Amino acid sequence: MKFFDSILNFFKSLFWKQEMELTLVGLQGSGKTTLVNVISSGAFIEDTIPTIGFNMKKVTKGNVTIKLWDIGGQPRFRGMWERYCRGVNAIVYVVDSVDRDKFEQSKQALQDLINKPPLAKIPLLVVANKNDLPQSVGVEEMIEILDLKNIVGREVCCYSISAKNSVNIDITLDWLIKHSSTVKN
Amino acid sequence: MGKFGKKDDDESEFLFENLDKGQVVQEKRAFNESPIHPRKCSLVISQFLYLLSRGDTFTKKEATDIFFAATKLFQSKDIPLRRLMYLLLKELSSISDDAIIVISSLTKDMTHKIELYRANAIRILCKITDSSILPQIERYFKQSIVEKDPHVSSAALVSSIHLLKVSPEIVKRWGNEVQEAISNKSNMVQYHALALLHRIKQHDRLAVIKLVSNLIKNSLRSPYAQSYLIRCCVEIIEESNTEDRIFREYIESCLRSKNDMVAYEAARSICSFKNVSAKEINSAVGVLQNFLNSTKPTLRFAAVRTLNKLAQTNPTAVVPCNLDMENLITDSNRSIATLAITTLLKVGNESNVERLIKQIANFLGDINDEFKIVVVDAITSLSQKFPKKHKHLIIFLNKILRDEGSLQLKQATLDAILTVVNNIPESKEIALTELCDYIEDCDFQDLTVQILHLIGQEGPLTSSPAQYMRYIYNRVLLDSGIIRAAAVTSIAKFGLLYEPMRDKVIILLQRCLLDEDDEVRDRAILYLRLFKEDDIHYLSKILMDDVPVPTVNMQKSLEVYLHNGDFSEPFDIATVSTVVETAQSPMIGDGKSPFATGSKKSESNVTSPKASGSAANDQEGPESYGTKLSAIPQFSGYGKLLKSSEFIELTETETEYVVNCVKHVFKEHIVFQFNVTNTLNEQQLDNVSVKMVPSDPKLLKYECSIPIDALPYGEPQPCYVAIRYNPANGYPLCSFSNTLKFKVREIDPSTNQPEEQGYDDQYSLERMEIVPKDFLNRAYVGNFVEEWKAISEDNQLVQTFSLVGVKTIDEAVKQIVKTLGMATAEKSEVVQPKAMKHILYLSGKSLSNQLIYVRARMKLDQSQTNTDVELTIKSDSEELNEFVISAFN
Repeated sequence: MKFFDSILNFFKSLFWKQEMELTLVGLQGSGKTTLVNVISSGAFIEDTIPTIGFNMKKVTKGNVTIKLWDIGGQPRFRGMWERYCRGVNAIVYVVDSVDRDKFEQSKQALQDLINKPPLAKIPLLVVANKNDLPQSVGVEEMIEILDLKNIVGREVCCYSISAKNSVNIDITLDWLIKHSSTVKN
Repeated sequence: MGKFGKKDDDESEFLFENLDKGQVVQEKRAFNESPIHPRKCSLVISQFLYLLSRGDTFTKKEATDIFFAATKLFQSKDIPLRRLMYLLLKELSSISDDAIIVISSLTKDMTHKIELYRANAIRILCKITDSSILPQIERYFKQSIVEKDPHVSSAALVSSIHLLKVSPEIVKRWGNEVQEAISNKSNMVQYHALALLHRIKQHDRLAVIKLVSNLIKNSLRSPYAQSYLIRCCVEIIEESNTEDRIFREYIESCLRSKNDMVAYEAARSICSFKNVSAKEINSAVGVLQNFLNSTKPTLRFAAVRTLNKLAQTNPTAVVPCNLDMENLITDSNRSIATLAITTLLKVGNESNVERLIKQIANFLGDINDEFKIVVVDAITSLSQKFPKKHKHLIIFLNKILRDEGSLQLKQATLDAILTVVNNIPESKEIALTELCDYIEDCDFQDLTVQILHLIGQEGPLTSSPAQYMRYIYNRVLLDSGIIRAAAVTSIAKFGLLYEPMRDKVIILLQRCLLDEDDEVRDRAILYLRLFKEDDIHYLSKILMDDVPVPTVNMQKSLEVYLHNGDFSEPFDIATVSTVVETAQSPMIGDGKSPFATGSKKSESNVTSPKASGSAANDQEGPESYGTKLSAIPQFSGYGKLLKSSEFIELTETETEYVVNCVKHVFKEHIVFQFNVTNTLNEQQLDNVSVKMVPSDPKLLKYECSIPIDALPYGEPQPCYVAIRYNPANGYPLCSFSNTLKFKVREIDPSTNQPEEQGYDDQYSLERMEIVPKDFLNRAYVGNFVEEWKAISEDNQLVQTFSLVGVKTIDEAVKQIVKTLGMATAEKSEVVQPKAMKHILYLSGKSLSNQLIYVRARMKLDQSQTNTDVELTIKSDSEELNEFVISAFN
C-alpha cells in the first residue's frame, strides 16, 4: 500500500512539482528560527540559540518544495537581509507581537527593507508571532502599528500566529503556497 | 564516467588559460539560479579559485558579492559542489565583508552526518570566528577534536592552532581533548595534536618538558609526530640547558628509525647542535651518508644540503662522505650536484681544489643563476682558505663573468673577485688582466665603471702599469658617456700614481677635450689643469679620496647650503650627516605648516624625500636647525649652533605620547628640543612642557622653557628647554630625569572639539644624558696614518679598558664609533669576518675646531665574551684628550 502511495506521489510530482523560495526576516528574538522548525518538522523547540548569520532549510509540502532562508535578526545582519530577499517568491516578516517596546524599531527595519528597489513588487507576509501570550497584539492593531496599509506596489498580508501552539500555521502555508511558481523543468 | 570527466578537465584547462576576471565575476549569477546546476557552479568556482591562486585581486565589493552569492549554494546537496563551495568561502572570507553571515550554517555543518562537511566547515570557521563568537561554538570544536574521523579531527586541530592566535584562553581549555587526540590512530592527527599541545604549553617551559618526556616514553607511532618531537627536544636542549640525557638519547635513538624522515630529522638536528660529541656527529653523518646513495632525489638533496651546512662549522665531520659526494657531482639533478660540489670545496684540501673547480666548470652551463651565486660564494670562501690557489679561482670567476648571466650574478661575481683581490694581493695582476679583457666586451655599464675604478686604483701599483692603458683608452673610444667619464678618471689616476706615465697621460687627456659628453670633458679639463699646475696634493685628494659621507646626505646638505644663500662661510663637509636616513620624522619644517610630516607619515616621506619641493623641509642637519632655532626670539642671542645630536627616543614608539629629543649645543647654551606626538585621538593636550631635573645642578643654570600651547592628535610639535653652562668650567656632563607635563582636554565625539574643562597630568620619560659626543664633531683627513705620525707622542693619551659583553669585533667597532661620534678613517670600520683583533682609526674635532685623532686597538679576550680595547688619543690639548676618554667612563 505504501509502495503504491509513493508511486502515486512520484507521478503526481512529475506533473505538479512546484517550488518556492522564501526569506524570513525580522528583529532578533521574534521567532524566525522557531517558525522554520515548526514548518519543517512540526516540532516546537523551546529555546534556539541566536542565529549568527543564516540557516537554510528545504521543506517539501505536498508537491511544493519550499526553500527557507532564515536570516539572523541582530542589527549587524540587517544590512545583509536584502541580499537574501532578492528574487524570492515572498518575504516573510516576523514580529514579536508582545514586545511593544520594539514595535517602532520593527516598523523602521521593515520600511528600510522594502524600500530597497531590487525588492520591489515581492509579496510581503507579516506574521505577528507569539499570539499564545496574553499581552499579544491582534492582527488589526499590528497592521496599524506597522502602517501596512500604506505599503503600495506589492501584495501585503498579515496573520497573527503562534509557532509554539501551531496556531494559523496552516493558513500561513496556504497563503505562501499560492505564491509558488511552477518549476520550468 | 571517468573518461568523460577527464575530457572535461582537458577542456577547462584550455578555458582557464585565458580566463578574464571580469567575465568570471559575471558568471557568479549561476549560484542564484533555481534549481542549481552543480556542474555549472563547480566550473565557476574552479575558475574563481584559479584566479585567486593566479594572484588576481578582487576588490572588497567584488569579493563580498561573490561570497554572498556563493552562500546560496548551502542549499545544494551535491557533495563535490559543496566541497568547492567551502574552498571558495574559505579563500574569500578574509577579503569579503560580513563573512560572519555563514557562521550559523557552518556550525550546523559541523555536526552534519557527512564528514566532508564537518571538516570543511571547521576550516572556514577558524578563519571567521573571533573571540566573541568562539565561546558559542566551543563545544563543537571540542567534539570535533576527539572525533574518530581523521579528516575532521585534523581539521579541528589545525584550526585550533590558528585560533590560538585569536583567543588563546579559550583554546587552552581544550587541553584534555587534544591529549586524547594524540592517541588517535591516524598519523596525521597524532602529529597535529602534538603540534597544538606543544603550542598551548609553549610559554610554560616545565609543562613542555613534562609533555615531551612523557611522549618519549610512550613511543609515538606517527613519523610526523616523531619528527615534531625531535624538534621539541632540540628546543628544550638549546633553551633550557637541561642536564637530562633523555632528550639527546631520544634523538640518537631516532637515527636508527626505519622511517627516512625521522632518521633525517634526527641527523639534521644533531648536525645543528652547538655542543656535540664526535660520537654523536659521526652517527648522524653516517645516516646522511646512507641517504647520499639513496635512489630518491629528495633524500639525496636533503642529505647533501645538511652536509653543506655542517661543512661550514665542522668540515672534518663531513670528510667521511667525500667519496659519496664526488659521485653526486655527476648527479642528473643539478641542485644536488651543485650542493655536493660546494660542500666538497668547503671541506676540500689544497690538492683537489683544482680538480673540483674544473669539474664545476664542466656543468656550469646546466645550472641556473641562483645556484651559480652559491658556487661563487663557495669560491670566495675558498680563496681565504687556500690563498695559493688564487690563480685558478680568479680564472674560474672570470669565466662566470663572461658567460651569459643576469646582472645579479655578474655583480656577485665581480664582488667575489674584488674580495679575492683585497685578501690576496698576489692575485691582483692576474685579476686585472682578466678584467681588462672582460670590459672589452661587457654588456653592463655599472660593472664596467666599477672595473675601471678598480684598474685605476690598483693598476698603477703593479709591476707594469703601462699594459692596462690600452684597455682603458679603448673605453674612451668605444663606449658610452658614463663609461668614458670613468675611463678618464682612471687614466688620470695612472698619471698621478705612476710618474713615468704622466706625460703620456696628459696627451691622452688632451684627446678627451673634444668629447661630446660634458662630464667627460669637464673631468679631462680639471685633471689636465691640475697636472699642469703640478698640484699633486690636490689632485690626489680629488682622485683618491672617497667622499666620506653618504651621497644622498651630501646632496641634501648642499641643497640647503645653496637654499640658505649665506656664502660667507665655505661649505663644510663635516656638517653632513653620515647616518643613512631612517624612517625618522623631520621635525623642523617651514613656518606655515611646521609639522606637515608627522612621525606616522614620515615613512612615505622617506620614500620620496623631495615630494614637498622644499629642500629645507626634509633637512636634518645643523644648517636647518640653526636657522629655525635662531628664528625663536629666546634663542636668538645664543650665537651659532655648533652641534645637534641625533634623535634620542625618550618613550617607546607605541605609547600614548611619543617623545624624542634633539640636543642643540651653542657656545654657552644647550637647547633641548622635545618633539612630542599625541597618539590618542580622543584627547587634546594643552600647555605641554618637559620638566628636567639634572643629576648635578651645579654644572648648569636653567634658562627658559617654551611649551606647546595646544597639541592635537597626531601632529608632532616641539617644546624646548634651554640651559646655560660656562665653558671655562668644562662641559656639563650630567644626566636628567624628565617628565612630560600637560593638561588633558577630552575631545567631545559629537562636535570633535575639545571640552572646556581639562585636568593636569604628567607622564614619565626615559632619562637622558649629556655626553662628550655632544661636543665632538666629525672631521675628515686625507691620510690618517701620516697625520697620526706627525703628532708627537707627547700629546697622546693611552687608556685600556674592556667592553664587557661585546662578543664580536664588529660590535665593538660600532660601539666605539657610536660613543665618540667621530668619522672613521682609512676604511678601518670594515672588519674581517670572524676577526679576533682589529685597529680602528677615528678623526674628529672639538667645537673650537681642534683636531682629534683616535686609534683603537681591540681584541677579543680569551673567553670571547668581552673585547679589550687600547684607546690612544692625540690632539694638541691634554684636556681635550681627557675629555674624549671620559666618554668611556
